[in-house]
Amino acid sequence: MKNVAIIAQTKEGQLNEATNQLLSFVSKFNPEKIILVVLGENHLSSVGCSVPVDVISLSDGLWADTSAVSSLANAVKGYTVFGIKSIQIDNILSLLASCLKAEVVSGVQHLGYSAGVFSIGKSIFSGKAMLEISSSTASIFSLNRNFDFSDVSELPAKAVNSTSVLTYSSESKSAITALKPITGTIPLPDAALVVSAGRGLKDPSNWTIVEDLANALGAATACSKPVSDLNWRPHHEHVGQTGVKVSPNLYIACGISGAIQHLAGVNGSRIIVVINNDPEAPFFKHADYGIVGDVNDILPRLTKKLQSH
Amino acid sequence: MKILVCISCVPDTTSKIAIDPSTSQISSQGLTYIVGPYDDYALSRAIELKESNGAEVIVLHVGGSESEALIRKCLALGADSAVRIDGNPISSTQIADAIVDYVKQNPVDLILMGKESIDYNSGIVHGLVAGALGYVHFNPVMHLDLAGNDLQLEVEIDGGKMEVSCALPAVLGCQEPIAEWKIPSMRGIMTARTKEISVLPLNPTDSVKLVKASIAETARRNKMIDAADAETLIDLLKTETNVL
Repeated sequence: MKNVAIIAQTKEGQLNEATNQLLSFVSKFNPEKIILVVLGENHLSSVGCSVPVDVISLSDGLWADTSAVSSLANAVKGYTVFGIKSIQIDNILSLLASCLKAEVVSGVQHLGYSAGVFSIGKSIFSGKAMLEISSSTASIFSLNRNFDFSDVSELPAKAVNSTSVLTYSSESKSAITALKPITGTIPLPDAALVVSAGRGLKDPSNWTIVEDLANALGAATACSKPVSDLNWRPHHEHVGQTGVKVSPNLYIACGISGAIQHLAGVNGSRIIVVINNDPEAPFFKHADYGIVGDVNDILPRLTKKLQSH
Repeated sequence: MKILVCISCVPDTTSKIAIDPSTSQISSQGLTYIVGPYDDYALSRAIELKESNGAEVIVLHVGGSESEALIRKCLALGADSAVRIDGNPISSTQIADAIVDYVKQNPVDLILMGKESIDYNSGIVHGLVAGALGYVHFNPVMHLDLAGNDLQLEVEIDGGKMEVSCALPAVLGCQEPIAEWKIPSMRGIMTARTKEISVLPLNPTDSVKLVKASIAETARRNKMIDAADAETLIDLLKTETNVL
């Protein structure tokens, strides 16, 4: 791994924690050069890394076809490319792979490299199983959000070596006609704490107790598929096999029975709490902490306890 | 207008996954297979477009003959013909290469597939296909309308949604609520019997090596807290875990 490129994730112009961890992780392999590809505006002057990085900023645009991505492909040709899973990063990595005729592996949970061979653990079946892969040819990797960074430590910051901008240009006629960001809530895929509720809440008007607990925790809110199918909650809150897959530190499931399709979306969570009035709910078997009780009683009490601290 | 819908055939969402000790890979014993749920959304939307705008819908699957019953079901839903590229691909690259080879010989206007297959969860085949063909690529698409030669899309993005207009040809990864899943009609099932499934060979490109699969079990604490003492949950989360 002589040369490494990282597609960065940023928050308010700075690298997010996962990207910093990824920089420390790739530093273990002693690369000679590191390119940091940053989407959108940034103010990076120094980053924690083993060698000073070269920053390439991608200007705003729809990086959604070969003609747009080819300039980036030229810049990272011959590099081993890493990104941490997001919608945009997976889309860019797959377009890059086809431009570079490179092999890409996504859903990477752990990764080792020795004597030119990658040993890759790829999470499959929504986290229910792991596939060990070896490859001397794959060069593009999309790492899962809960990638095992346990043995990396933060490196001292080094001044950025160079900064350049790739301006979006495409031969295609694609254009954004409207942007609809979700505002006012914590984005679910990034949330460290999640409070999720299901049909056990009985009515969408009862969601205030879920929101109150989420606010007291600083958590994002989520829901089960039946709830989003009933339009009680927006689709982007649906967690499960065909919805968002989350891997927070804490997942609190309220009035969710725990169908296997729902578990597929949450089994990457570190600690799972299940609150349900049905002691037979299958979710209890997959819980770290379980409370058999009425959500209308339990949730406000938890909120009150948190607020009293 | 020709629409190619690429489908995966995957274990049912309720499947209990096990390892075959003789191959160290996921065992197919006792599993019920279905058309990938996201691919099913893509196919449903393609059939709706055929009904509303007129289009030829071709279903493509890269895999073995055991998938023919599921391919036949897609024909019963309203697809006009199907192609099976016969083989056992082991990576997204091999599947994408097979689709690209087919489309280079048999040009289409629009390629739809699910945003990911629910077995290997890679979610990159659409991007690889789009990149190799030089087509426009959007993923995951939640609404798709045709206006002449242009597509009007609603696409999920990190932290929200965007509406996009783009020109054909395009490759789209699809997710709900792009369409409702459909059930084949008796007439559809009858006519599907005589529809063609052509079989082409897979020429697998060099790829990664699969070493072994294992079941990932997360050990859970399974600690029950009495409802009367529910508040102690907060203390336990603070003392026994460091999540708060």
